[in-house]
Amino acid sequence: MKKIFTQKLLSFGLAMILGLSLTACSTSSSSATADSAESSAAEAESSESSVAAESPEAASAGSTEETTGETGSTETDSASGDSDLAAIQEKGTLVVGITNFEPMDYQDENGDWIGFDADLAKQFAEYLGVEVEFSEITWDYKVMELEAGNIDCVWNGMTLTDEVTSAMATSTPYCTNYQVLVYPAASAADFEGLTSLEGLNIAVESGSAGEDASEALGASTVPVQSQANTLMEVAAGTSDAAVIDVLMAAAMTGEGTSYADLAYSVNLNEAQGLESEQYGVGFRQGSDLVDEFNAFWAEKVADGTVEEIANTYGLQDAVILE
Amino acid sequence: MFFMSAEFQTVVSALNEGFLKTVQLFFLTLIGAIPLGLIISFGSMSRFAPLRWLTRTVVWIIRGTPLILQILIIYYVPPLMKLFTWGGGETGRFTAVTTAFIINYAFYFSEIYRGGIQGVPVGQQEAGQVLGMTKSQIFFRVTLLQMIKRIVPPMSNEIITLVKDTSLARVIALQEVIWMGESFMKGNRGYAGLIWPLFFTAVYYLAFSGIVTILLNRLEKKLSYFH
Repeated sequence: MKKIFTQKLLSFGLAMILGLSLTACSTSSSSATADSAESSAAEAESSESSVAAESPEAASAGSTEETTGETGSTETDSASGDSDLAAIQEKGTLVVGITNFEPMDYQDENGDWIGFDADLAKQFAEYLGVEVEFSEITWDYKVMELEAGNIDCVWNGMTLTDEVTSAMATSTPYCTNYQVLVYPAASAADFEGLTSLEGLNIAVESGSAGEDASEALGASTVPVQSQANTLMEVAAGTSDAAVIDVLMAAAMTGEGTSYADLAYSVNLNEAQGLESEQYGVGFRQGSDLVDEFNAFWAEKVADGTVEEIANTYGLQDAVILE
Repeated sequence: MFFMSAEFQTVVSALNEGFLKTVQLFFLTLIGAIPLGLIISFGSMSRFAPLRWLTRTVVWIIRGTPLILQILIIYYVPPLMKLFTWGGGETGRFTAVTTAFIINYAFYFSEIYRGGIQGVPVGQQEAGQVLGMTKSQIFFRVTLLQMIKRIVPPMSNEIITLVKDTSLARVIALQEVIWMGESFMKGNRGYAGLIWPLFFTAVYYLAFSGIVTILLNRLEKKLSYFH
């Protein structure tokens, strides 16, 4: 009898520990949110009361006063609502979702992020009055990363495809790009001037614009994890050719790389009779950061900053300056 | 000489950085999962049926789904459901991955523990009872050490697997050693289009699992006096 009792006691104890730890986790998170809600409510209250104290007219004037003047109160209002701008200013950092993608976002010898996109992202953060933080993501999960709030924008030479524009709020396009066919230089004669990819095994990045283009041109595709991996497929002879961004092809093939014996030429957008693709920055759907970005971009184009940075990274032909 | 070149040194220092994350993940997983697994194994051996079935159901769920999926669920589902967020930075990703690994490995370990405990002949517990020992005395003085000896070989197996499983962490962009190796294909720290760093990461895994194997073999030898 006694041993059964002690064993039951032991198992109850363990169940209690499990239960307690679960409730402890959930209460700690809920109390945290309650705290923040409380504090923002308190802030909103205090700013309201200060408004009322300063000018009774303002309080009665109502909507016009709210939209024009009191930045304090609009900020706290929107922080508790869904303004991305206010949320970012409150936490003090803009988290930029990137992958390692020369010449847009890549690391220098010291491990600092540089590149056309990275340099401008730093300036955008400055424009918003916050710190910038670069977070490498898995490209397939970019929408999930945004929706989960792990990152605030995707700024990584992202082609504005239908998939992207339907899942994110995107900026005005800032760069043009097209897809090219990369093949072994030794068999260049077989590939130059192709208008159809039928019968070819083409390595593409899973979910990329290159995958769409290859499928449209009748290729059988081999989806791999990154654009860089597609080149390895071609170099190893496991795929006939690869379809990637021209910017990447320019940076990664030829002299001084591991892919010195690969070449590229065919413009697949032309082959399909399509216009060039455009790069844009992606934000959460409905985010007010899109307007902020467009205003920021117009300002930086006007003062020549964008052109200067484009020249630094060899993008003078691709960047859109209007 | 290639091993003295700037290219080699840059790549190796980046791989070292990634490998440090791999090693941290490895040890934190063991520190978390070894004790947690014991608690879970008590749950799955409990005489209190609801607790036993609950634990065994969770064991089935954790062992029955891929670790890569568990990592994705743990990292993305709570923020998508607006419960809490791990954070988008390196720390947040590391914490989420470590949590996923600890949970996954604790449930695997728990089954190994259960096998080890139930493999000790019942007669020994009965003998303990006859001598008037309490339940916990029997567990700690009779069962536990014999269980440890029994579980060392299967645990070694799991621990060696863990060395290599850490590479799954890169699914949510934790920059462990394979991620770092791959980064030189696209371009990293001034070098682009390098293939060899990815394959070179094998050296790290082999060295690490070699050391772990030697340590575990020593442990096994030390425990052999029980026979």
